[in-house]
Amino acid sequence: MRISLLGADGRRELEIHRYPLIVYVLIPLVAVILQSWLPRALGMWLPPWASRWALFDLPLLVTVYFALGRRNPMQGTLMGALMGLFQDAMTHYPIGLNGIAKTVVGYLGASIGVRVDVDNHTIRLLLNFGFSMLASAIYLVVARFLLGLEIEWRGLAELAKAVINAGIAAVLFPMLDRFRVRE
Amino acid sequence: MESFFVRYRNHVVLLAVLLVQIVGLATQVRHSGRQNNSLTEEDSRSVRLIRYWAQMVVGPPQRMIHSSRLGIAYWWSHYADLQHVDSENRELKKTIDRLQLEQAELLEDAHQGQRLQALLAFEQQYIYSTVPAQVYGSSGADQSKVFYIDKGAANGLKPDMPVISADGVVGKLRTVFEHTSQVLVVNDQTSGAGVILETTRIRGVLKGNSAGQLEVVGLMADQRIKPGERVLTAGGDLIFPRGLPVGTVQKVSPDPDRDSFIVVTLVPAAHLERLDEVLVVTSTQPRFPPVAAQDMGTSETLKGAEAAAIVQQMKASEIMAERLPGLTDPNAPPAAAEPAANTPAANAAGKNGTTTPAVPPAPKLIPTAHPDRFTPAGAATPAAPSTAPSTKPAASPSATKGRPQ
Repeated sequence: MRISLLGADGRRELEIHRYPLIVYVLIPLVAVILQSWLPRALGMWLPPWASRWALFDLPLLVTVYFALGRRNPMQGTLMGALMGLFQDAMTHYPIGLNGIAKTVVGYLGASIGVRVDVDNHTIRLLLNFGFSMLASAIYLVVARFLLGLEIEWRGLAELAKAVINAGIAAVLFPMLDRFRVRE
Repeated sequence: MESFFVRYRNHVVLLAVLLVQIVGLATQVRHSGRQNNSLTEEDSRSVRLIRYWAQMVVGPPQRMIHSSRLGIAYWWSHYADLQHVDSENRELKKTIDRLQLEQAELLEDAHQGQRLQALLAFEQQYIYSTVPAQVYGSSGADQSKVFYIDKGAANGLKPDMPVISADGVVGKLRTVFEHTSQVLVVNDQTSGAGVILETTRIRGVLKGNSAGQLEVVGLMADQRIKPGERVLTAGGDLIFPRGLPVGTVQKVSPDPDRDSFIVVTLVPAAHLERLDEVLVVTSTQPRFPPVAAQDMGTSETLKGAEAAAIVQQMKASEIMAERLPGLTDPNAPPAAAEPAANTPAANAAGKNGTTTPAVPPAPKLIPTAHPDRFTPAGAATPAAPSTAPSTKPAASPSATKGRPQ
């Protein structure tokens, strides 16, 4: 296992992942469409107890993927904000709850991407688990303490969501790597 | 100054984006004055526009996926998977026969109920018209229990209209766009509806919890509430019509926040996670829908025929009664009826133009041939000659006077 915190020389050698423009548009779009469609579709196929635990956040994974790959905090911030706002627009909650959470995640993802080897599967797994928990925590803090909304917190569900997100990322990220432009 | 922004541009962008979103959030929440704030009932124009744009982007591909899935499902069920159609068809025919009989009985009960409600000046709202709609997408967030349907303002839908399925209550319309609508499901944490327990008639408020389960809150501890009891809409919230099935009681547990209160967890009547088609109730009226009214008319006609048959039966029984022997003296003079016509009751009826109930005719006593001490004082004893078999009995005023009326 190669978990390496990179020094200044190593950081310079880090490759900034580049993708065709269409990938920057299509992948986030597909993520928000699937995020909106899949839970209901799974609800039709899975038994009720299982569909209750079919928790995942594809826009978060796409935000983390591009933030880690591009290693640009500004782009990560904007990508995260856009994905979060889009998600909020699909719910009936105030627009900005997911926006703030994913803005922070995008920024942190890009900042961390500069320091660690983001192609390592274990690091990806751990980062996705951590970012998922962080996004849920920010969502809860903003909703309950900033806005004063009466939203219950399901710790176990959020933990399950983080684990599932990490698992999906382990499969999804190598697939997305195929769209990378090789120089 | 320029170098500051260049050097810290990442931080500046982050702060700016966060600040804009925080300010935006503040405008979307209503301060209720209590400890917790609540969502605004209706989105502002700008928020609504953002939601509309998101729907415009996400909606069409979702509808396409949904249509293709439906197409495949249709092809499969109509052409590929026809194994059990015949037996299912027979079962359905039996069910229809049974339901028709039940419907006739229920219509009678409903008609009676409506008359009683009219007597009590209580106006009952009945579902008058509905719009069927396809469900094609959801919010995608586990905290937000909303889904999207393919009908909108163009189909006459408006916010707060109730959404139901064949099994029971589903939710209400929250945001209505031109051709699509957002439905807030009853198991969301922010939804609410007035409900009543079917047998115990205890009222409560229906809410969703964080796990997406239905709960009835605001109930005092009551031993009568048992698992299995049905819960219906109470109709007091002015959104859901009264009497729609909501679910059945699954468990009763003490309210962790309030002493002596309980929380009743329900199993929803409608399959909230597996909805494909729903009905939006666009109108409720204090009368029956045309089909039900027509059925009731048929029922009334049938009742009329039944009444005619009963009248015929009564006539037949009267004829039979006339033919049967009785206590009436066949030789009694017809003049006996005249004093009855001159009674005060008869006179009053004639004057007022009203009818009084007819006094049943008293049995006519045959004159006593040999009176003794038990004979009524008023009863006249006919003269010896009049009792002679060869002579006809003469109408004696004294004889009629003493008869009991």
